[in-house]
Amino acid sequence: MSANSNPNIIDVSGLSPFNHGSQAPLWWGFIGMIIIESTVIATLIASYLYLKMGSISWPPAGTDAPDLLLPTINTVVLLASSVSMHWADSSIERGQQRQLTYGLIISILLAMVFLAVKAYEYSHLDYDWSTHSYGSIVWGISIFHATHVLSLVLKTVFVLYLELRGYFNRQRRLGVTVNGMYWHFVVAVWVPLYLVLYWSPRIL
Amino acid sequence: MQTSDANAATIETTGTSEDVLDRTWQSPPGFPGWFLHVNHRSIGKRFIATAFLFLLIGGVEALVMRLQLSRPGNTLLSPDLYNQFFTMHGTTMMFFFAVPVMEGFAIYLTPLMIGARDMAFPRLNAFGYYVYLIAGVALYISFFLGMAPDAGWFAYVPLSTKEYSPGMRMDVWATMITFIELSALVAAVELIVTILKLRAPGMSLHRMPLFIWAILVVSFMIMFAMPPVMVASLMLAIDRTAGTHFFNVAAGGDALLWQHLFWFFGHPEVYIIFLPAMGMLSAVIITFSRRRVFGYTPLVLALVATGFIGFGLWVHHMYTAGLPQLGSSFFTAASMIIAIPSGTQIFCWIATLWGSRPDFRPPLLFALGFFGIFILGGLTGVMIASVPFDLQVHDTFFIVAHFHYVLIGGAVFPLLGATFYWFPKITGRMMSDRAGHWSFWLAFTGFNLAFFPMHQLGMIGMPRRVYTYIDGLGWNGLNLLATVGAFVFAAGIVVFVLDALISMRSGPIAGRNPWNADTLEWSTSSPPPNYNFREIPVIEGRYALWDATGANPHVVGLRDDRREVLVTTVLDAHPQCISILPGPSPWPLAMAASVSVAFIGMLWSMWWVPVGFALTFVAMIGWHWPRHHVRRPPWEEKERPED
Amino acid sequence: MTGRAVTLGLAFVLLSGCDGVQSMLEPRGPHAARIATLWWVMLAVCTVVLLIACGLVLAAVFRGRGSDETELSLKQQRSLVIAGGVVAPVLVLLGFLVYSVKISQAMIAEPANALRIEIVGHQWWWQVSYPGEGRTDLNVTTANEIHIPVGRPVSIELRSRDVIHSFWAPNLHGKTDVIPGRKTHTWIQADAPGTWRGQCAEYCGLQHAHMAFLVIAEAPEAFYAWMNAQREPAPEPQSPSAVRGREIFLNGPCMMCHTVRGTLAESTYGPDLTHVASRRTLAAATISNTRGHRAGWVLDPQVIKPGTQMPPMNLSNEDLHAVLDYLETLR
Repeated sequence: MSANSNPNIIDVSGLSPFNHGSQAPLWWGFIGMIIIESTVIATLIASYLYLKMGSISWPPAGTDAPDLLLPTINTVVLLASSVSMHWADSSIERGQQRQLTYGLIISILLAMVFLAVKAYEYSHLDYDWSTHSYGSIVWGISIFHATHVLSLVLKTVFVLYLELRGYFNRQRRLGVTVNGMYWHFVVAVWVPLYLVLYWSPRIL
Repeated sequence: MQTSDANAATIETTGTSEDVLDRTWQSPPGFPGWFLHVNHRSIGKRFIATAFLFLLIGGVEALVMRLQLSRPGNTLLSPDLYNQFFTMHGTTMMFFFAVPVMEGFAIYLTPLMIGARDMAFPRLNAFGYYVYLIAGVALYISFFLGMAPDAGWFAYVPLSTKEYSPGMRMDVWATMITFIELSALVAAVELIVTILKLRAPGMSLHRMPLFIWAILVVSFMIMFAMPPVMVASLMLAIDRTAGTHFFNVAAGGDALLWQHLFWFFGHPEVYIIFLPAMGMLSAVIITFSRRRVFGYTPLVLALVATGFIGFGLWVHHMYTAGLPQLGSSFFTAASMIIAIPSGTQIFCWIATLWGSRPDFRPPLLFALGFFGIFILGGLTGVMIASVPFDLQVHDTFFIVAHFHYVLIGGAVFPLLGATFYWFPKITGRMMSDRAGHWSFWLAFTGFNLAFFPMHQLGMIGMPRRVYTYIDGLGWNGLNLLATVGAFVFAAGIVVFVLDALISMRSGPIAGRNPWNADTLEWSTSSPPPNYNFREIPVIEGRYALWDATGANPHVVGLRDDRREVLVTTVLDAHPQCISILPGPSPWPLAMAASVSVAFIGMLWSMWWVPVGFALTFVAMIGWHWPRHHVRRPPWEEKERPED
Repeated sequence: MTGRAVTLGLAFVLLSGCDGVQSMLEPRGPHAARIATLWWVMLAVCTVVLLIACGLVLAAVFRGRGSDETELSLKQQRSLVIAGGVVAPVLVLLGFLVYSVKISQAMIAEPANALRIEIVGHQWWWQVSYPGEGRTDLNVTTANEIHIPVGRPVSIELRSRDVIHSFWAPNLHGKTDVIPGRKTHTWIQADAPGTWRGQCAEYCGLQHAHMAFLVIAEAPEAFYAWMNAQREPAPEPQSPSAVRGREIFLNGPCMMCHTVRGTLAESTYGPDLTHVASRRTLAAATISNTRGHRAGWVLDPQVIKPGTQMPPMNLSNEDLHAVLDYLETLR
């Protein structure tokens, strides 16, 4: 900022148009989106528990509680994708474009593994969303979350494309940051969802 | 990623810097250009105009209903038509008028009040409007096709499930409600980010106008209240079309799940409608009493408290559903406690007005009308917070009376006053005082004639949502009176709207600040130029214009040839960085159209949802595609990225 | 046509006085009495509050005109806001809260010697049954009319066959929803004999407006006499016309929805008609139960309740009179 002889003037010509993190309106916009979707998740969990409390047996008679092994492994896979995404984000903070590229690719692959395993898991269920209310809420929650993971993949492919065209650098990396933030959010909400879907029929 | 910047390379840089600035912020004229506007004033005006149109339509629906009910056994409307009418009336007023009109004023006024040139995400604003417009048009097309929703604006299950509401009527309702909440959520995020990050330097949080505080609180409320109803309406939609069983009792579903989800939204919804009106009232009262408000901090705390407590009341809509008494009593307490912040606000305003000898011009008259009507409605609200009393009057015309008193008194009257007040800023002309007086007295008298008798009607046994009633119960005279009153009230609204339309063209020209008000929007011309402010001011006090010392501190250094806004810190509004906003763009409409494909398509088949998803993804890419920065652009050469 | 038929037929000649017959302001039982008292107390307090608040508003804007002292001191302003905006409301609300909770508790406590009734809400009528203390031959089932003995608590179990309805007899008590998949419960008591009208109070579809019922409180002897009469199966029709009417009834669509105990008609889809002629109203307390109304209802219920589940009947004039004669035997 140029020095002011006039105290009534604030000269902002030296301020950067490259905004990072919580400086950036876009970052706050994503926080807003995260708050909204957290409320959706909370609503879905509350609905699950409400239906459970109103049922004599849950899952209903004739349906088993879901298996634990595959989903638990899948959860670890998804959490790992957050680690790689974090690595990608901090790489570009240091201006390391190649690491960013690798980090994005690894995250995308891990998310795709998650989706494939989930598809396998659900194709082997003996009930679907139209069998009973348990099926409806379980499939509903899973499809909701899986759609978000799919969106993550698609968004990140776009970010990757831009990265390969040399778009991001140490200054211009807000897009990576908010993409990563949203990625972490979708992974993080999986944890309570996982606990509700797979553990609550056993514990509560 | 930086937002794309369609204008930077093409803006002519000849002419004065003011000309350049004007061209930079200009919206494309003409018909196809209309679809590209992203400027907040343009979008705000569209929200307001469209919402007023829905007000008139919803009002006509009410008048027809009142005609049907004016005598027993009337045959003006068949039961089927009546049920469509009351469903459309409620849905239109709550979803398509009340919230959008407040959003419209917020979108129009916020940047002007905080000293910014536009909002944080202009294209998102436009997207929100198109979603609103499409949802409203789709809903009304269903009405004209004779398949309007007919299970009430609240759509209780199982009545609203496919089994008891066959056909596509409630599918239209469920999908359009989910859709329009998207519009509200988008506006909420937009407003929060704009208010937190784009305020002019010097406008710390505790110097923000009360209207801005109200909008901030409301936007947070929207983020927490809308998702539950979206989840619920989506669950209803797929119960109806995809065979799920969320609400199907025979397969483990629960009829009360709907009520909990709906009312968890539904109660905060009325405060979402009411709080912006409180912000409007503060603005009008401060201006007309020519004083700094009494109790700024309590007023802010009252807004915040109402916002929080409003989420703890929802079960008071379900007292008759057989829930445990102890739990219900908690909600009685909460429903009563919320009267306290409202009472605090009212007394702060009284203290502000005390002895100020205000000018009894229409904005103040409508504000006074608020006091009379809203306080009565608030008091009946306290009454129905009591479980035993509510067990008698729930679902009767007593409730109809109550909520019309609080909504019309608490939101519509302040809205009319606010419209009159800000009309000169928006259009550059004044509305007519004489028409304003007429419309106020017609509306005030008509409203009370229409709705006061309904308290009695409810207590002598008349339930809600009935297309007719039998003779001999003592309801005839009161119903007739209510119908007459409704027409008088409608006359007041019509006078107001006509005055607005006429004054827009031929009202007296307004100056910058015809009311001698204190907030920042009154410092610029009427209507504001494309760029809102020639210079971004530095704010010197809570009452921007009244506290100005005359030294005119302001910001320099923002470029004229691209749409730059100053980003400041959240608490104290210190300059932090620059944000480059996009210019006119087709992507908001494209995105709205893609999302519509999913929502409207699912009325026929769920396969449209993935199609819409794919189209939305394409639109997202177009929206976010950087125009000029894929190779390092010229102005970046002076930065040395280390790589 | 619909309007006229409904309006003309609706003089409730059997009700003693039309006004107040569906009103919470004319309480006839302990619950309604408590609630009505609560109402009057709240009305008084709130009226005072309204007058004070509006008075203050008017004083605020009119005061100071032509006088010098125009502004309250800061201390006065603060006192006004705290007193009016916080202290007074808290006290009033606390009072209301305590009063309400006490009434709620009194209303829940159900006495032990209650008569049990089961009510099922249908689109758009009320099924009323008195379980016969475990013996099906003592069971009474009727529709849209509830008889209760004066002075005795009546415990009501409420269910729904289809959508949510709400059971509401304002002269006696507040309303209770009937919700499919759940059982809700209420209890009422009438302290004096009389007849009152109740109405469904939860929007339930096309004929929500015409889903009402009567509550008839009688001295215990009269009540038990009624119960005994209702327990009897339908008598054998005597006149040839009535016999012919029964034949039409049993061979036509009627028996597909209705029960007449003592005959082969056993369907529970529609109201039990075993003693339909003893009821005071038809079509869920929409029209009075006269021969003419019965004729109109049987021939084309859609005129009186458009959208109702009962279809029109194509009957010749003689057949219609035969059916009416038969129905008249069902007392």
